[in-house]
Amino acid sequence: MSETVFKRMKSLPSAHLLGAGTSLCAGCGGLEALKEIYDILGEKTVIVNAAGCMTLLTIYPFTPFRGSWLYTAMASAPAGAQGIRDALDILLHKGRISPEEDLKVVVLTGDGAAYGMGLSSTSGAIERELDFLYICYDNEGYGNTGQQFSGATPHGARTSTSKGPRGFPGYKKDLFAIWSAHRPSYVATVVGAEALDLARKIEKAAGLKGPRLIIALSPCPTGWSYDPKETVEIGKLAVKTGVWPLKESINGEVVHTKVPHKRLPVEAYLERQGRFAHLFSPQRNKVLLKEIQARVDAYWERVSQPTLL
Amino acid sequence: MYRIRFHGRGGQGMKTASRILGRAFFLEGFEVQDAPRYGAERRGAPMFAYVRASRNTINERGIIRRPDLVVVADDTLVPVSAAGVLQGVTEHTVMLINSNEKPEVWKDRLNISGQVLTMPSVAEKEDRLEPRFISASCAGVAARLVGVISRTSLKQAISAELAHLGAAVVDKNLAGALESYDLMGSHSGSVTPGHEVPAYAYQNPEWIELPFEDARVSAPAIHATATSEKMKTGLWRTMRPVIDYSRCNRCWWVCSTFCPDSAISLDDEGYPQIDYEHCKGCMVCVAQCPSHAIHAIPEQEAEAGTPAGERL
Repeated sequence: MSETVFKRMKSLPSAHLLGAGTSLCAGCGGLEALKEIYDILGEKTVIVNAAGCMTLLTIYPFTPFRGSWLYTAMASAPAGAQGIRDALDILLHKGRISPEEDLKVVVLTGDGAAYGMGLSSTSGAIERELDFLYICYDNEGYGNTGQQFSGATPHGARTSTSKGPRGFPGYKKDLFAIWSAHRPSYVATVVGAEALDLARKIEKAAGLKGPRLIIALSPCPTGWSYDPKETVEIGKLAVKTGVWPLKESINGEVVHTKVPHKRLPVEAYLERQGRFAHLFSPQRNKVLLKEIQARVDAYWERVSQPTLL
Repeated sequence: MYRIRFHGRGGQGMKTASRILGRAFFLEGFEVQDAPRYGAERRGAPMFAYVRASRNTINERGIIRRPDLVVVADDTLVPVSAAGVLQGVTEHTVMLINSNEKPEVWKDRLNISGQVLTMPSVAEKEDRLEPRFISASCAGVAARLVGVISRTSLKQAISAELAHLGAAVVDKNLAGALESYDLMGSHSGSVTPGHEVPAYAYQNPEWIELPFEDARVSAPAIHATATSEKMKTGLWRTMRPVIDYSRCNRCWWVCSTFCPDSAISLDDEGYPQIDYEHCKGCMVCVAQCPSHAIHAIPEQEAEAGTPAGERL
């Protein structure tokens, strides 16, 4: 692996490629991550966007991108990416575009598509070793339609379709593991609040060939119910509490890129968000809080003892 | 029939206000419609919600064109033409504006002949960034102005509509709403129902008829990049982040990196500049600036000409 250009904070981009003026919510954690990612991928990209919040980025005739954009149905962005990649390859082969004019094909979907509806087409694309990047902005629910639960919703969270006193009864799918099990070139988790870690991973992904997939935890003021100004703080707490492990997998080998050695209790993360308010009032749900903490502890226990994996 | 329009920004609770008022009308035996209207835009963008209430069957549908009452949760919306606050306002319409300025000022400024009222003043919050949930109060005042909704029905409606937020939130909202309801006692009944419009008198909305054109004409390919910058999302803002350059350490541009909207750039000397045409006012920069060099001021104060934010 070649040396990173992102050695320190000061190497992060100070000018930004993604245009302002989009229709996304003030304080959107997904947009923050996308902006950081786009700075590194650059404008020679084709964004293949499945239905979701980020569809609102490009409302004809307005777009924040400096390159092309294709809209697909929710489940089929990787199939759309296949078509674009094939078309580019044919143009290259026929000499109608030069290698310098080639474009990166980048799938952009939310967690509804990535963890659920689009999982099968993603699996197929990885199987065919499609040369593409997949960016999933994961706000842990169907945010565009009012935050119904998705395959990415964490245990206990209140969503508009899990309003009971115990919140969402299911568990967040381990998409990182599902994707990694396909042995693609690269899989990583990022969060906009850890900009340097994100930059290094996108740089690494951009330099590889084949399927490269990124999950960006996207704190969502609207769906998670917190003040927009706390987007970065909540992203950082997700990492510091160990709820969102920052890691990467290259050809199946998993490395944690930022291990929180003194993990904060998960409560520090949960209590900041309205979607977990029912765990703290009218009375503390000790059982559920303990269970959430135990799951995070067990995860890091396995990380420290790889033989358990 | 009563026709009431609530204007606010996404996140200010005007959808909730319309639901509370709608339910209160219903409890008084009215037939009711209430519905929010959004564009594709999000939290902070102008939106409106409307309520129709009648003792008879309601056959009207769609947005309200001739409101009897217009409630404006945020006075910065009034001059925003896209918000359409003044649409269909006549001398019959009562305007209720949440503003620190006096009703006479608004009446004069907007040059309207109907009655203008402002929300009864609520004490300024300690933390200016703390969101003010005024939905219940707006519904409370509206309920009082129509004069046909009892205190009990209002109370019941708020308790039911906000129940999912927990008892503490309900109590806080009840207190605010009932206080506003009581304070507006002298204006009870100042909003009167507008005429029922029979089906034969239906008028088309003021839309623009466009001829059907070939796709190349009606939807030409856009080759320009980053055209979203034409959208001035700065209008969404109610609070403005202002940089105190004497405290800015020209760090690793934390504010610029974390701004979700690419609204903070660096000048040649490495000082950040905020693009107020696009800053949506999320205040992530205020929360993240390591040297606390960015603070928030209400947009009205900023527009009143406070020269803060200029680098001298």
